[in-house]
Amino acid sequence: MAPAVALWIVRAAGVYLALGLLFAIPFLARGAGVLEPAARHAGLFFRLLLLPGAVLLWPWLLARWSAHRREGQP
Amino acid sequence: MSHTHRAVSWTPFKRAYDAVLALALAVFLALFVGLGSSFYPNATLETLLIRSLGLAALLLLHVTLAIGPLCRLSPRFLPLLYNRRHLGVATFLVALAHGGFALFQFHALGNANPLVSVLSANPRWDSLTDFPFQPLGLGALLILLLMAATSHDFWLGVLTPAGWKRLHRLVYLAYLLIVGHVALGALQVQKSLVYPGLVACGAVTLAGLHLAARWRDRKRSGGEAPQREDFAEVCRLKAIPTGRARTARVSGHQVAVFRYDGRIAAVSNVCPHQNGPLGEGAVVDGLITCPWHGHQFQPGSGRAPAPYADCVPTFDVRLEGGRVWVRTCPNPAGSPAAVAEIERGE
Repeated sequence: MAPAVALWIVRAAGVYLALGLLFAIPFLARGAGVLEPAARHAGLFFRLLLLPGAVLLWPWLLARWSAHRREGQP
Repeated sequence: MSHTHRAVSWTPFKRAYDAVLALALAVFLALFVGLGSSFYPNATLETLLIRSLGLAALLLLHVTLAIGPLCRLSPRFLPLLYNRRHLGVATFLVALAHGGFALFQFHALGNANPLVSVLSANPRWDSLTDFPFQPLGLGALLILLLMAATSHDFWLGVLTPAGWKRLHRLVYLAYLLIVGHVALGALQVQKSLVYPGLVACGAVTLAGLHLAARWRDRKRSGGEAPQREDFAEVCRLKAIPTGRARTARVSGHQVAVFRYDGRIAAVSNVCPHQNGPLGEGAVVDGLITCPWHGHQFQPGSGRAPAPYADCVPTFDVRLEGGRVWVRTCPNPAGSPAAVAEIERGE
């Protein structure tokens, strides 16, 4: 693979993960409990455990969370 | 599913499982590094660590992938299944340590970004013997990361069991990438067919186990049960041990018929948690208990005990002349079904 292509891939991945980290903060604080009621009263360590998954899957989780809001669910 | 999620739902069994796993891993790494430094005095500690961690991750992945078919072939292996997710996360962590050491030793000392170096240092994509095997390992590591990151029950609820299962089937793609990573990497370092041969043995063993389990499943479920009106004959009453079940295929539905407390009840054989085989479980404290993760359901209604809300479809049952008949159409999940009472002498 050409170094320029590899650099582009690594930078794109970095941007994706940085955006995921930004998304993860409100998601872990509130969104997780919206999508899964059993997570509403869960502790801090549990929420931190969800951090990698939230960072990796953030576009899909954002879409699910937005759909919940549009449907008027809490 | 727990009423409120916790980080880890520890049980004494899980603690023992994890302790044995950590001990076995520590012994394996110590032996590998100790013996490696004796047999190959020129090898550096970093090299030995990279190889030992890589081999450990490969072995753990084989065990993780073998547990499913082994449990379908024999219930003796079921205890290995109950904490398989911890085994999967451990596999990822060991693979991450392997990748981290390799990244540092081979790619972190130059001017290029180490990850860019992994992807671009070897441009021989058209060569089998010099193929850039490290990007294959990186790809597998990313898949294992995604799986470890979504291993908590929370993700089962958010992704739905079917979606979670589909996502976690990516482990087979990760396995193929790892097979390529190890076989091609070993060929470049050793110029010997021993390691590729061992990897091939592992792949053939896993494929054989999966095929044997599938064959056993087909043999066990058999064909469609004979039908009369809207009921199908499933088995003789005596064929069902007390507290256990017999499974059958009725009008395309997988049904588990349980015998408990002098009664016969039938529910779907598919646990809503992770599609586990309820019929291979037992009735514990009056509740059908899934053998995979211990989710429980009331035999007559298919409902999980409060405060849980999971439900499975139920089937009406009747007994005629010592034979068990099940209605071909299931009741909605969580609906009370007709339960057959076993009379004395039956």
